[in-house]
Amino acid sequence: MNLRYMLKELYYQRRRTLMSILGLSIGIALLIILNSLSSAYRQAAQVPLKEIGADITVQRSGDVPKDLAGAVFPCSAVTIRKEEVEKIRKLPGVRGIGTGLLLWVFDPNRAWIVLGIEKDNSIGPSLLRSSVTEGRFLEDGKPEALVEQAYARQFGIKLNDTISVADDKFPVVGIIDASRAAKIAIANIYLPIKEAQNLAISSKELQSVSPYAPGDVNLLFIKADQEKITGLASEMKTILGNKATVATPDSFLKLLGSLFALSDKFTLAASLIAIIVAVLIAFKTMAGNIAERAREIGVLKAVGWTNRNVVSQLMSESVIQCFMAGILGLLIALVASFGLSFMKVNIPIPWEMSPNPHFLPGGGDQIFKTLRLPVHVPWNLAFFAILLSIIIGGVTGGLLGRHISKIKPSEVLRHE
Amino acid sequence: MKYGDLEVVKGVSLAVNEGEFVCLVGKSGCGKTTLLSLLSGLEKPTKGRVNLDGREITTSSEDELALFRRDNVGFIFQSFNLIPTLSAWENVALPLFPIKMTSEERRRRATELLGKMELGHRIEHLPSALSGGEKQRVAIARALINNPKIIFADEPTGNLDSSTGEAIMGILNKLHKEEGVAILMVTHEDELAKTANRLIRMKDGEIMS
Repeated sequence: MNLRYMLKELYYQRRRTLMSILGLSIGIALLIILNSLSSAYRQAAQVPLKEIGADITVQRSGDVPKDLAGAVFPCSAVTIRKEEVEKIRKLPGVRGIGTGLLLWVFDPNRAWIVLGIEKDNSIGPSLLRSSVTEGRFLEDGKPEALVEQAYARQFGIKLNDTISVADDKFPVVGIIDASRAAKIAIANIYLPIKEAQNLAISSKELQSVSPYAPGDVNLLFIKADQEKITGLASEMKTILGNKATVATPDSFLKLLGSLFALSDKFTLAASLIAIIVAVLIAFKTMAGNIAERAREIGVLKAVGWTNRNVVSQLMSESVIQCFMAGILGLLIALVASFGLSFMKVNIPIPWEMSPNPHFLPGGGDQIFKTLRLPVHVPWNLAFFAILLSIIIGGVTGGLLGRHISKIKPSEVLRHE
Repeated sequence: MKYGDLEVVKGVSLAVNEGEFVCLVGKSGCGKTTLLSLLSGLEKPTKGRVNLDGREITTSSEDELALFRRDNVGFIFQSFNLIPTLSAWENVALPLFPIKMTSEERRRRATELLGKMELGHRIEHLPSALSGGEKQRVAIARALINNPKIIFADEPTGNLDSSTGEAIMGILNKLHKEEGVAILMVTHEDELAKTANRLIRMKDGEIMS
């Protein structure tokens, strides 16, 4: 392989070289962009759960409360027994569990959405700690409450006020900005889980619809090994029964409704088609170029170039062209990804996970988590794309070189 | 040598001695270029054998023939057959590209030969910037780069005017006399053949004399 000869040949046929590079670069760019978009949607779908430090959330639907008085469970989140929680904890792949207790409390002059949280568990709504705008977060062993900021403003509740929830009194020690909080863990009032459990135990209405014992909960937030999430979701449904709602990143992905969100198979198919078309364009252009050089190949062989020398030379030209195409494709993809990263995606939160009673005004409204699509080109995808372009160059050049090196010099060198 | 049912070269027995200048003369289509291809190893005969420098090349593989040509044979074509993307010195150095050698050494050898061809001022020029005579001189230099034992020249003056053709013949004669290179030249012009040591006439694929 002679570098000088190779570069001169590529420059001499620069229009054709450029066409070949452009064709393949578009295929490479599409491959990178499609996969980056798919990855971005997957990452976006993880956000609602990641915001509460979980990979899976679990709840179970049950009967609608007969009487809306005192503390009741939402029909979408009824009792999950302590023993069931322990069974789930022992499943291989489960790294940790956070629990919560979601209640609707109907007092004579107010309705509250109450969420009991484990203050010290890093999995679950305790991550709301970072959303406190006034006062402080909950402390151990004290019956105290946090109030959501918009709710506090609406009803004139201030820091250090005392609120009465189902006849129990709680001092307000902090105000939380729920607009910054995870959409899955929104409530009006946040209590230590023990206090919420006390409310549940003492509620006759709740007990009549969904029997509840100390230690039981109705929301689970689970941290799991990523590759086991799908399997775990299935096992949890087996433990909790058909009425269980198990939300994973895939659940949110399906709700997105985008083609890229649909499946890896679509991305793979689209990427393959893009590459195949690009390779065909590059192959055709290179084949045309090489065919025109039949006489030149004849001269090379006549002056003593072996078939291997000829193939090596043509393969090198092809590899360089395709490498340049890979670099150009990567640049195009980087620019496109930057542009796409300004796109916003609205991730719908399933109604079962909405804490709002749907029969109250605004309660049936769809909740969305809106965020910018985190489109970026991971280095390993960039590396793979460049490597692929080099391989395409090698294979294309090798095949074409082998074909053309078989020509007989005497046939092409006769004077025309 | 047969192409299908057509016997292009038949019953030829020919020898070129070391340092000899042999001219093969015949009308167009008589098989002289085909015979040249056979003798130089560019083609294999359908029957018979070819020996070059004591080695039978008929049974060699394509790559073995290519390497043999590189070390022992030089070619001069009627159409010059220079690589259009390479400069004059790069065309001369073309047979050296696959050999492990520094670029400087290749350039030095090519430039030296071009100097002998009185083309020292044109070494960086592309073939498109050279006249017919200059192109043929570059081709002759290319044929000499590996110190061949024999040069096969196929109508080397065919594309040149008479004065340029004479100049090229002058170079070939000088090469033959001063360097002792054997030359087998194919031509349809009797005039050009007069300078050769031996003249062989061909007609309808057979040697007449």
